[in-house]
Amino acid sequence: MKSIRRMSLLLLIMAMFLAACGNSGSGSNKADGTKKEEKIKLSIWHNFAGDDLRAKTVRDLIDKFAQEHPEVELDAQAIPPDGYRQRLSTVAAGNELPDLFFVYAGSHSAELYNAGLLQPITEVTDQYPEWRDKFLPGAFDPYTFEPDKIYSAPIGMSATSILYYNKSLFEQYNVKVPTTWDEMMIAIDIFNENKITPIALGNKAPWVAQSTIIGSLADRVTGTEWFMNAVAQNGAEFTDPEFIEALGYFKQLVDKKVFQEGANSIDNTQAEQYFIQGNAAMMISGAWSLTNMAASASEEQMNVVDVTVLPAIPGGKGNANSISGGAGGGLALSTRTEGAVKDAALELIYAVSGPEAQKAIAESNSMVMYDTDIDESKVSSLYYKAFNLVKQSNITPVYDAYLSAEAAEVINNGLQEIMVGGTPESVAKKLQEAQARSKNQ
Amino acid sequence: MELRTTTAANIAIDSTGKKLALKGLSVLGKLILIGYAVLTLYPLYWLFISAFKTNEDFFKNPYSLPHAWMIENITRAWKLGNMGRAMLNSTFVTITAVILTLVLGILAGYVLSRFEFRFKKVAVTLFLAGLLIPIHSTLVPLFLMMNKIHLLDTYWALILPYTAFELPLAVFLAIGYMASIPREIEEAAMIDGNGWWGVFGRVIFPLCSPIVATISILAFLRFWNDFSFALVFINSQVLKTLPLSLSLFSDGFGTDYSLTMGAMAIAVIPTIAVYLILQDQIMKGMVAGSVKG
Amino acid sequence: MPTALRSKGFIALALLPALLLFVVFVIVPIFWSAYYGVFEWKGIGASKFIGAGNYREILQDPIFWRALKNNLILVISAIIGQIPIALLLALVLVKNSFFSRFIRSAVFMPMVLSTVVVGLIWGYIYHPQFGLVNTILEAVGLESWTRAWLSVPHVNIFAITIPINWSNIGPYMIIFIAALQNISSEIYDAAHIDGAYGRKRLFYVTLPMIWSTVVVTMVLCISGSLKAFDHVMVMTQGGPAQSTELLATYMYNNTFRVYRYGYGSAVSTIIMIISALLIGINYILTRRKER
Repeated sequence: MKSIRRMSLLLLIMAMFLAACGNSGSGSNKADGTKKEEKIKLSIWHNFAGDDLRAKTVRDLIDKFAQEHPEVELDAQAIPPDGYRQRLSTVAAGNELPDLFFVYAGSHSAELYNAGLLQPITEVTDQYPEWRDKFLPGAFDPYTFEPDKIYSAPIGMSATSILYYNKSLFEQYNVKVPTTWDEMMIAIDIFNENKITPIALGNKAPWVAQSTIIGSLADRVTGTEWFMNAVAQNGAEFTDPEFIEALGYFKQLVDKKVFQEGANSIDNTQAEQYFIQGNAAMMISGAWSLTNMAASASEEQMNVVDVTVLPAIPGGKGNANSISGGAGGGLALSTRTEGAVKDAALELIYAVSGPEAQKAIAESNSMVMYDTDIDESKVSSLYYKAFNLVKQSNITPVYDAYLSAEAAEVINNGLQEIMVGGTPESVAKKLQEAQARSKNQ
Repeated sequence: MELRTTTAANIAIDSTGKKLALKGLSVLGKLILIGYAVLTLYPLYWLFISAFKTNEDFFKNPYSLPHAWMIENITRAWKLGNMGRAMLNSTFVTITAVILTLVLGILAGYVLSRFEFRFKKVAVTLFLAGLLIPIHSTLVPLFLMMNKIHLLDTYWALILPYTAFELPLAVFLAIGYMASIPREIEEAAMIDGNGWWGVFGRVIFPLCSPIVATISILAFLRFWNDFSFALVFINSQVLKTLPLSLSLFSDGFGTDYSLTMGAMAIAVIPTIAVYLILQDQIMKGMVAGSVKG
Repeated sequence: MPTALRSKGFIALALLPALLLFVVFVIVPIFWSAYYGVFEWKGIGASKFIGAGNYREILQDPIFWRALKNNLILVISAIIGQIPIALLLALVLVKNSFFSRFIRSAVFMPMVLSTVVVGLIWGYIYHPQFGLVNTILEAVGLESWTRAWLSVPHVNIFAITIPINWSNIGPYMIIFIAALQNISSEIYDAAHIDGAYGRKRLFYVTLPMIWSTVVVTMVLCISGSLKAFDHVMVMTQGGPAQSTELLATYMYNNTFRVYRYGYGSAVSTIIMIISALLIGINYILTRRKER
């Protein structure tokens, strides 16, 4: 008992000491506030919290803005991406959003817009028209909720369906890199016979198969127009035969045991590693894999990897030379931000997504939705290949950027269902119901 | 002092607990226990070897020792995660909340186990209900409420909810434990002229050291590892706690396992220390406590 | 005994701070949340009163029933797995020798680790390609038993119960040891004189003495299993195809991934009602045994 008491006393003293520290900390903050009352207080939340090049680049851009604008007292919060949405949702419920915050393209920003929490940033895009016009086609689509009003400028670009392949495995087994579905089937058979996993997939977070495979695959079958109509529930439905056919191609992959066993219980990073270590011949993944692999693979491992687009589908209505992708997230402006704070916030948007920023981000081995040239020597060779591949390809929509949040969840789970024995028809039916329900609300 | 020695004599508990144990373990029994211990210790070992690997090494040889020992993982995680400050914050928040939980929980448990009064059933039921509440469902209301009373973004925004959510467990463990303390002890103390506060402070609480230690361990682990509250109720960088540092190295598209493991290895050391200190307290038990007290 | 008045003052002063803190920070928010349950609300923006609409939809959703079934599997596995093993370990390890101290610390260690580490290591143990389980099965010639333990529906939920039990045994063991420490040796001496040793002593002396603690641990097991969230979130995220969905993950996904805040709140209200029912049943059953 004595030692417990002694210990609790010690802890109590420590606690009081810390409390004193904490208080003095917040106290001095307040003092600052009163002294320099003219300072513009600007708060920003983003999720560039990690140690990867892109996150560091964006943080540097924000720091640079703070240095160049001494009149602004910037409160920048880097929130771990894993908890970012949860944090933002909770705070939005309390109507306590910061002045500027990072939003994802698609249903995330749409929900915030629908709740009346965003205001347009068109002022800043009109102020720098040469900047606005150098964005790639469609860059502002997910952020144009009303005609001629832009609500965010994408900081990056998601290219989600790059076909990565291991050149040395293709050479070793004398396989042609597939450009048609039939060639893909042949390649799969050869690798399976040789006990090489044809395609690595880590679908534990169920958005992966949807984002990397189905968007691109289905677009080849149905064409983009059909998808946009189905999203709008305007003359097309997800139960239409073309979509069931598209899911059927996915099922065909599953039935041919294309993915390694248990793909639904390993994560993205593990699948990338499985591929880069030569256990799998191919991997269909987004541009993010470039960053991840660069951080953890050796040079020899990276040198045998090459990139291309998914193979064409016979008789498909869509363009085969395409990659699914679109505008990445960007900074959005809270409705409550006004006056001088708003001006500063718009400047900060330009600082983080303006021409120089786009170039810096592109050179941090990360795709941008902006017409910029990059210095080949500053980036990895695989990234350079992928950058040019994306530039030369058509960009088709990623499903979850357009579906409602609920419908996206349904297709995510539905693909896992097909992987454990479900049928395309039942998944299509559920997706149709979910999208129709969201549209009717 | 006198009182306590007499009490101790009354209950005369075998401090080594020898008589309580099942008679001598067979060799086979010991082997099974050792096997089980290996199963439970292995993840700790795995965490520490993984914390020193490169990402490539981690994936290639998940079970073997590191090829090269990357001390850098630890130092980089420490620096990037701002873990020094986070560690101080976590320590302060956790310890304050544990002390509050102990004092309030054991007092309440004592009252609820020993006294008959009108609203007792209501109080017990309320606390019981507290055990059933999934914390995620209270995030939004708690946020709204603490926002209204200007508690957000202070240490108290964590300390008070932590304590409140741990109280049901503390109260229940205390009630269960009190049942095994003979009432004669209190009666003897009463005769010696103590009021209820005296009985509780001088007799009951010292007898509670095993359950104090148990509650402390469980509460400490819960508070130390909490992510959800820390994520939502704290805003300022200087107030952030450890679990937020641990999740920095995963961005939804990929995870930097070596840095994550490095950060986790740092964060787990205090918890092991606290457990080892408190586990002795559980065992030293009552006689030692009440005699020397 | 002191006067009734003094007792009253003590009761009030000792109980009120705990009760107040608890009511303000736990009970009020939960009623607040239950109130959201009757709205169609995304967590942001306008809300629409829909009465029992959310509840009706929940009860018609097959995924809810699957989640409930999975939770019941966890409850059963916790009660037959965690409590007996923890009690057995406590009985064997209550001695304060170096050996039992060492084993005790070891048994508790999984609890010390964050769930993320536990999830990661078990992910490797169950790994379809390099997992320990499959490697061992192959080594002993049971290739046909190997599988992707966390991917195959109906198998994976059972695979998940093992790490959950494994991490939770430690705290229950500690709770039991604390209770066992408190049994006076006079009682054992008396039992000895009455001829109760070994198994007889265990069932007629030890168990009844710590019965209240056993009941408490059962309540904790039930409520803990119904709230279970972290392990599943880390290991499978409730998938594949929602085959390992639990009530808490179902609630979380609806609230924070699909932005159906009202619906999620209704789910958490249902979780509490179910827990209360189960604990009520447990109370009745364990009371009978006591007689």
